Amino acid sequence: MKKIIYKVLILILVFNFSSCVDLEEKPVGLLAPESLFKTTRDVEIAIFGAYGWIATERLYGRQFVSAVMLRSDMVDIGDRGTPAERQQVNDFNMDPNNGMIRAFWPYWYQTISAVNAAIAGAQSLGLSEAEINPLIAEARFVRAFSYYHLVRVFGEVPYIDYFITDPQAVADISKTPVDEIYIGIIADLEFAKEWLPDSYSGNVKSRPTKGTAASYLSSVYLTRENFQSAYSEAKWVIDNRVRFGYSLESDFQELFRATNGDRPEHIFTVDFLGSQSGGGGANDDIMPPMSGIRGADHQGWSVLVPSMQVFNTWDNRDYRKWVSFDDSILVKGVMVPYTKFDNTQRPHIAKYSRFPGNASGDGRYSDHNYSAFRYAEILLIAAEAGAEANGVNSEVEGYVNQIRARARNWAGKTVSFPEDVPAGLSKEQFVNLVLEERRIELAFEYKRWYDIKRKRLGDQAFKGPNALEPHANFDASRDYLFPLPATELDINPNLRPQNSGY
Amino acid sequence: MKKLCRLLSFSRGSLFKIGLKMKLLTVLMFAVCAVSAADSYSQAVNFSLKLKDATVRTVFDQIENNSEFILIYNEKWVDVNRKVSIDIQNETVEKVLDQTFEGTRNLYKIYDRQIVVLKDEKAELPAGLQLQINDAQVDQPQQKEVSGRITDSGGLALPGVSVIVKGTTTGTVTNSNGEFSLRVPQNAEILQFSFVGMKPQEIAIGERTSFSVTMEDETFGIDEVVAIGYGTIKKSDITGSVSSISSDVISAYPSIGAIQSLQGRAAGLQISANNGEPGASQKVRIRGGTSINASSDPIFVIDGFVGAALPPPEDIQSIEILKDVSATAIYGSRGANGVIMVTTKRGRSGKARIELNTSYSVQNEINRLDLLNADQFMDYIREARPNIQPAGGNTDWQDEIFRTGAVQNYQLSVSGGNEAVNYYVSGTYFDQQGVIINSAFNRFSITSNIDIFASEKFKMGVNLFAQRNTKDGVRTQEGSGGLTPGVISSVFKFEPDQSIYRPNGTFTIGRLHDPIDNPYAIATQLEDEEISDRFQGNVFGEYQLMEHLRFRTTFGATTNSGRRGRFSPSTLQEGRNVGGGDASVDGWKSTLFLNENYLTYERTFDEIHNLTAMAGYSLQSSVSESWGGRSQSFITDGISYWNLGSGATLQSPNSSLVDWRTSSYYGRLNYAYMSRYLLTFTARYDGSSNFSANKKWAFFPSGAVGWNMKNEAFMQNVDWISNLKWRLSYGFTGNQAISPYETLARFSPVFTVIGGNTVNAARPTTVSNQNLTWETTSQLNLGLDVGFFNERIALTMDAYRMVTSDLLFSVQLPQYSGYTNQIRNIGEVENKGLEAMITSRNFTGEFQWKMDVNISANRNKILTLPSGNDIQYGSGPGHMVGLGNTQILREGESVGVFYGWIYDGVYQEGDTFIPGGGFEQTAGGEKFRDIDGRGTDGKLTGQPNGTINNDDRTIIGSPHPDFIWGWNNDFKWKNFDLNLFFQGSQGNDILSYTLMELDLMAGINNATTNALNRWTPQNTDTDVPKALVGRTRRVSTRWIYDGSYVRLKNLSLGYNLPATALRNLGLSKLRVYVSAQNIFTITNYPGFDPEVNYNTGGGTNGNRNLGLDYGSYPNAKSYTVGVNIGF
Repeated sequence: MKKIIYKVLILILVFNFSSCVDLEEKPVGLLAPESLFKTTRDVEIAIFGAYGWIATERLYGRQFVSAVMLRSDMVDIGDRGTPAERQQVNDFNMDPNNGMIRAFWPYWYQTISAVNAAIAGAQSLGLSEAEINPLIAEARFVRAFSYYHLVRVFGEVPYIDYFITDPQAVADISKTPVDEIYIGIIADLEFAKEWLPDSYSGNVKSRPTKGTAASYLSSVYLTRENFQSAYSEAKWVIDNRVRFGYSLESDFQELFRATNGDRPEHIFTVDFLGSQSGGGGANDDIMPPMSGIRGADHQGWSVLVPSMQVFNTWDNRDYRKWVSFDDSILVKGVMVPYTKFDNTQRPHIAKYSRFPGNASGDGRYSDHNYSAFRYAEILLIAAEAGAEANGVNSEVEGYVNQIRARARNWAGKTVSFPEDVPAGLSKEQFVNLVLEERRIELAFEYKRWYDIKRKRLGDQAFKGPNALEPHANFDASRDYLFPLPATELDINPNLRPQNSGY
Repeated sequence: MKKLCRLLSFSRGSLFKIGLKMKLLTVLMFAVCAVSAADSYSQAVNFSLKLKDATVRTVFDQIENNSEFILIYNEKWVDVNRKVSIDIQNETVEKVLDQTFEGTRNLYKIYDRQIVVLKDEKAELPAGLQLQINDAQVDQPQQKEVSGRITDSGGLALPGVSVIVKGTTTGTVTNSNGEFSLRVPQNAEILQFSFVGMKPQEIAIGERTSFSVTMEDETFGIDEVVAIGYGTIKKSDITGSVSSISSDVISAYPSIGAIQSLQGRAAGLQISANNGEPGASQKVRIRGGTSINASSDPIFVIDGFVGAALPPPEDIQSIEILKDVSATAIYGSRGANGVIMVTTKRGRSGKARIELNTSYSVQNEINRLDLLNADQFMDYIREARPNIQPAGGNTDWQDEIFRTGAVQNYQLSVSGGNEAVNYYVSGTYFDQQGVIINSAFNRFSITSNIDIFASEKFKMGVNLFAQRNTKDGVRTQEGSGGLTPGVISSVFKFEPDQSIYRPNGTFTIGRLHDPIDNPYAIATQLEDEEISDRFQGNVFGEYQLMEHLRFRTTFGATTNSGRRGRFSPSTLQEGRNVGGGDASVDGWKSTLFLNENYLTYERTFDEIHNLTAMAGYSLQSSVSESWGGRSQSFITDGISYWNLGSGATLQSPNSSLVDWRTSSYYGRLNYAYMSRYLLTFTARYDGSSNFSANKKWAFFPSGAVGWNMKNEAFMQNVDWISNLKWRLSYGFTGNQAISPYETLARFSPVFTVIGGNTVNAARPTTVSNQNLTWETTSQLNLGLDVGFFNERIALTMDAYRMVTSDLLFSVQLPQYSGYTNQIRNIGEVENKGLEAMITSRNFTGEFQWKMDVNISANRNKILTLPSGNDIQYGSGPGHMVGLGNTQILREGESVGVFYGWIYDGVYQEGDTFIPGGGFEQTAGGEKFRDIDGRGTDGKLTGQPNGTINNDDRTIIGSPHPDFIWGWNNDFKWKNFDLNLFFQGSQGNDILSYTLMELDLMAGINNATTNALNRWTPQNTDTDVPKALVGRTRRVSTRWIYDGSYVRLKNLSLGYNLPATALRNLGLSKLRVYVSAQNIFTITNYPGFDPEVNYNTGGGTNGNRNLGLDYGSYPNAKSYTVGVNIGF
């Protein structure tokens, strides 16, 4: 009997292990949402996540900005061996399965999700407006920044301004009308303008200030052809330039030298850190090799190459042309003209690849702080919107002349070109002059396509007699919008109809 | 000795039905006896015993311990617990036995060192023994004398073999020299030879009077005992589908691991090399892929330890492949992909047995591609790009990086034991110098298995295993080439008109497209070294609680730790590009712990009801750590990866911790009625930490029935059928192979820079799923086992259908939600198939031919997908930009079918060109078929629409074979043995990214000699397009190839030294052999090797990416010489 009891005891002991097992998961080293937001610093961490996601290969590092550039008349495909998806964006024969759209679409929404999470987290802290609103304002600015790109590229898209914890809840929503999206964008920017600080320590420009919010408001209003408001916001920025520390860079080249970092001219930047990379394509800037020269010592890939017309029509006396272009390059230590380039015998974009700073041999993982918005553009918006709203006058002429005066500083030596704006232009002539100035001044800075779309210039730009990049199949009824990714419409048929023509 | 007796006494069957291990042991014992044969052994040994009230068992033990005698008896006949007293001084064994059995009905018979104890009821005696015993009393008229000698397959004499005239009780047993002589009736027709552990044989007598017979080990007989989860079972009592593979097959030729040696060996088991690289892993599928996103890898159970590491092939006794649910349901949530049960070798009672196995192989790459030479290359390139100038060299890059590889393999084992302890200790060393320069792998290991018989009721065992693997890798199968691609892809595509070095001594780089490194530079400069250490211990204790009830507990732990160091020096583009070298070191340590506790109740009622019940509890946990650092731009290349801190550019370090736990209850009931009707019920209740809060536990039951039709009365007279059994099973198993923490919502860090400095940043990446649970696979299996002519031909057939539901599917979310995917239980996949295995002894005489054929056909089909939508995905190398999606998941189709355009050859001058964005519209350009288009509603119409675009893609091939097969032949003649093993796959397609890259004809890299037939205005009758800069890569039927193949996997010729020669050398065994592996392959596949797997790592890729070829390290042809020595 004693033996049996002994045996039973052993069994009980062994089987008792079962009660020791805890099947709850307690991950170490992973961030759980429910415990993330405890202080304002945690809100900041979530907002910073959005910045990191904008500075990825999918958005400002390559895919998104390449697509916007290729769509324009300023940048063409160089090496036609490059993926069809890029050629299709450039050649106006893309379809809803296009790989570039598939690449950048989710990243914009993940950026938006990050700031929506930050806003929800901020509101959960129960702090006073003064303490928390500046952070909410920063998050709302990023949301507006993201939707501003989305609405211009795609038109109607789902507009989501709250943090989603259950994707099922938005599984069958419809697209939001463009007007409503802009209402959201403007509300976010107004809130941002109210609550954001004037500056950050170290004059960091990759975070928005009041000036940034106002600048984007002016741009949004210009796009919406609310010229008076566009002018007012731009004028407010110009009037408060000292408060925000804005001024034009004296030497145009210095804007495109990665080692310079944020400059006074910058209003909003996307900051890449040289020779570093993170997960998901974070901090991976590929624009220098994408636009650089195949076969050159700095090993570019000749993908984003302007047509000859862009180069040929640009006045040789313009310093900005030589900052914007490389028409010859070192190959095995010897300077070779573009006619002898290995792959694409055209001058190449120099704004990215010439001075990428601490970077890989081909300029990848550059140290650039890319300008998403700079003071020169505010001057040009003030000029255009001011002229549209109040007619041509010396004030609006003066804004353009500031830009031209800076361009006359040829690396420290003052030249006579470009001359000041001639007096006596009609409103239409002046606005067209500003558009041309934007094309030249902001060349290859992802602005031109939005101008073409905004001003409905497509037929002229791609089919006109002076087309820089002729595309006979440009179709104005289709091509001002990209198609939404086909997979999104498959998953949620309520997003149909697809944009017209796709 | 003691073990032998006890095990015998435990055996349920009659005297000659004892376990396989025992059979082998008995053979061993007889072999030992034979060497020092002496007829009068019983007279030569004297005993002095003084025992009072000892059990008969004790007397037997004393006899065995003090002599070389072994006792064979059946507990049914001998009451070993009866108390006796013995007092003997210097007497023979007969005296001892006489005293022991005094007053009982037992009698005994001594054959040399073998003592058989019987009960004095003649009817129950085995025929041979009966006759021997009664020999003198029976008078047989008209007789003739036959005689002969019987040996085992190794040529050793076999004493104790029963020789019987078929259909009579006339017979005898061979003596210690394996010889017999027998008077048989003149009209006797057939002699039957039988021996425990050997296959019975029948030989016609005819006019012969002398017989020389070789008995074969019965490793595949119906009485074989096979390992199943938490126990063993006689093969005849199995209701499920289980394939067994024996040790001689596993170590038939030198292999990196035991898995490699299983290829083609069992029906339903598909094994292919993931890469030919030394040390590369294998892809294992049992009855197809049951999943899409979770792993479809089977689980491995080594001596009862789930998830333990496999020991080297030489230390494995047997491998069982558990295929159907009746066999796998005992592993519940992990059983869906089948179970591979490995039993390692253990010691056996007897004097130390020392074995040395060694082999040496030389290896060559299995194939080469025919590439353009420098002149042909220049002709081609300049057609596309006239301004390119020849570089002046002429290099065959394949010559530069391939070498003759070598494999050395050694194993030394010592095993043996006594009544208290059995031991098996083995050390192995395997060293491979790969066929590509600077690639190597070696491993050494120690295996130590100890069994301790602590008392009559308690035994315990310890398995210890330690192994070090060292791998010196070369880059192959790269996911994205960059400027320093893999050595194989570079070998193919690098410009043949360049030399290895430039005049200034630096390595040449590509000049046509990406400036890639040349293959010689990559092979010699890139460092990738991995060292991993494995320590594994498994302890078990087994206690006989009551007569029929025993308890077993096991504790197992295995740790794997290692590090991998990589360095790209500044002599390579990759290292140069980041300013002077790119180095990283990664380390890891993982620990797996397992505790199993179970009770087994085993009993026979009324001699007709056979019941085995088992129930237990198991607890398993795992912890994996990893950490690593990376740094760039060093002062000198000499630092390699050993001073990361000295780099100018430090990259973010990484570390992680992942853990999981499972807890399970399980049970099984086996019931057999008169060995005719078999029933099995199995169930497991599993809990896993990996699963969501609401779904931590699940239940996996299965049931099976078997019908041993042969044991029915009406089958008794059907002599030519020796076995006929039906099996039917149905049940459920699971697949829990999702990663820990995947059900939890979380934020992930984002690399973010503010003001030039990195800052803390995070974004939401995963939403929680409170209801995520395992995939469940239901399986129906119908099996038939048939044996003909006394098992001379044995056939096993199985038909099955598996449906995996609640697929762990990474469902694409609306991306505007801010998330891309969420893992959910959605979708179903079906696998159904047929398997057959035939074992046939075609010749059994002096010349023997034994043949095993297995063939399996599996059909994989997606039944439902999330919302029924197609899922497209891409698998091409990242640097082959623009490829986009290459495969598709579609309801009604198999997983991983290829998706692309139909290639219609090249356009000719005057053709109507089909318009489409980016598609060629010139003579000599690629022509694709217009098959579909969209109507005004944006939906596909299924009709050509006059333009070519993404809508014209369709399913253009399937990587799934129609069937796979293996055909093994063992020939024996005298002391020679010959093995021929063929293996193959039929009807599978391959998508070759390698050939796509080479034969794109875009003038950016070298091409195969297909390029010689490219379209030119003079050569229009071709389907190879013209050389054209800027051609887009498109997946089309042009790159889909038939991947069927037949391969001679192994050819070996061995010679066993005969017994006389062995005796002179003092050895028990000496076999020398020569063999060759993979020496020929019949295939239409124009690539390197049809056995391909690219981008196939991980659960999801492992299921979805099949039949892809890119830049793989070639498999090798091997030529081997080897020796097996037993001391």
